[in-house]
Amino acid sequence: MEQVHSNDASLADPAAIRQAMEYYAERGWTDGLPVVPVTDSYLAEFLAQTCKQPSDVVFAMPHLNRNLTVRLAAINAAMAGCRPDYFPVILAAWQSLAEEGYATRGIWQSTTGTAPLLLVNGPVRSGIGMNSAGNVFGSGFRANATIGRTIRLTAINAFGLRPHQLDQATQGTPAKYTACIAENEEDSPWDPLHVQFGLAASDSAVTAMIIRSCIHMEARHTTVPEQLGLDLAGTIARTGALVHKTISALVVLSPEHARIFARAGWSKPDLSQFIYDRATCTRAQLAAVGKDAISRQTRWRLPADHPDAIADDALPESGAGTVRVLNSPEAVLVAVAGANNAGVSAVVETFGPRGGPPAVVRIADGTSSDVRS
Amino acid sequence: MPAVSICTDAFIVPAKAMANVYGFPGYEFATMPHPLASLDQSEIQASARTLLPALIRILGVES
Repeated sequence: MEQVHSNDASLADPAAIRQAMEYYAERGWTDGLPVVPVTDSYLAEFLAQTCKQPSDVVFAMPHLNRNLTVRLAAINAAMAGCRPDYFPVILAAWQSLAEEGYATRGIWQSTTGTAPLLLVNGPVRSGIGMNSAGNVFGSGFRANATIGRTIRLTAINAFGLRPHQLDQATQGTPAKYTACIAENEEDSPWDPLHVQFGLAASDSAVTAMIIRSCIHMEARHTTVPEQLGLDLAGTIARTGALVHKTISALVVLSPEHARIFARAGWSKPDLSQFIYDRATCTRAQLAAVGKDAISRQTRWRLPADHPDAIADDALPESGAGTVRVLNSPEAVLVAVAGANNAGVSAVVETFGPRGGPPAVVRIADGTSSDVRS
Repeated sequence: MPAVSICTDAFIVPAKAMANVYGFPGYEFATMPHPLASLDQSEIQASARTLLPALIRILGVES
């Protein structure tokens, strides 16, 4: 990639721009969509956004013997269509992904087919024009679209995680093109996620999660928090998601749904606790799909009559007839995003059992080091 | 310790790609038909018996 910086002067020639774009495509330096040609002077604008050195490593995949430097991260951010002032968000995202851990350990090569989701909080949202309201998971906003795109494009270009090669995803997910949302802090009745986990409201932060699915949950008919909570719990506790013993989720509430809980006096931890208690499967449901036990070796779910099977943990009071699908209330994170116009929310299925705090990383202002919350 | 890698034929391309990443493009591994995860015990044992000559050959065992 180091050799492809065209002269700035050529940018005045549309034909030369198209030629450069085709060159990138022919070399496979793309997620399939056109990428922006990067010149040395344009790259310098990105590098000026951080106090880190271009050679500093921001993300490593030891099993691939490959590292991501600040310079490579900046080239790919520019190629993905980011503005230079988005770059501090990108660097914080890579730090969050490193702390989150699954990508470092090779999950992006798995047949499961996961994608990174970035949740952005704080003043940076308005500073760079991020969408936190209507169509928050959809298209139409450059900052959301290109910041999310940057992560996967970088995975392809810097780590070689191309489909049919090192990326073995059976189907993948549309979120692999881009998945970056901002929390709608202005329409939320609660503290935003980064404040919940120890940062100041005046800080900006990125929280990265590895996800498999984003499931729509619609309920316009009710103002009863228990009904909404049960709808969310039922959405989470689908057997198809139960690869491992337990699962985890990010519940992204619309402002309308969030206010129903808040008006009834529920905090975000209250909602997580409610969902933890009600996100269950019956033994009969699990047995019907052959997921009523755990593998002794892999901890994956399998039938109880499998030679490697051991019993899972059932609720004691249920006589082994009911099984929780979450390992703790902390396995459910809650954020607020979307327009305040309908009872439409989403359950983002995060990969792995989780239960610990999320990887909330403060976005550096370009003059100080990135700081973990 | 000597070892032989085994993968199903669905993973031949990524297996070769990983060998390239580690600088051993000619790294030899054994393959078996996909799928593996849904085989029962007798089918697993049958696959193992079928694989055995390839494993012994790659290990360089002298007869």
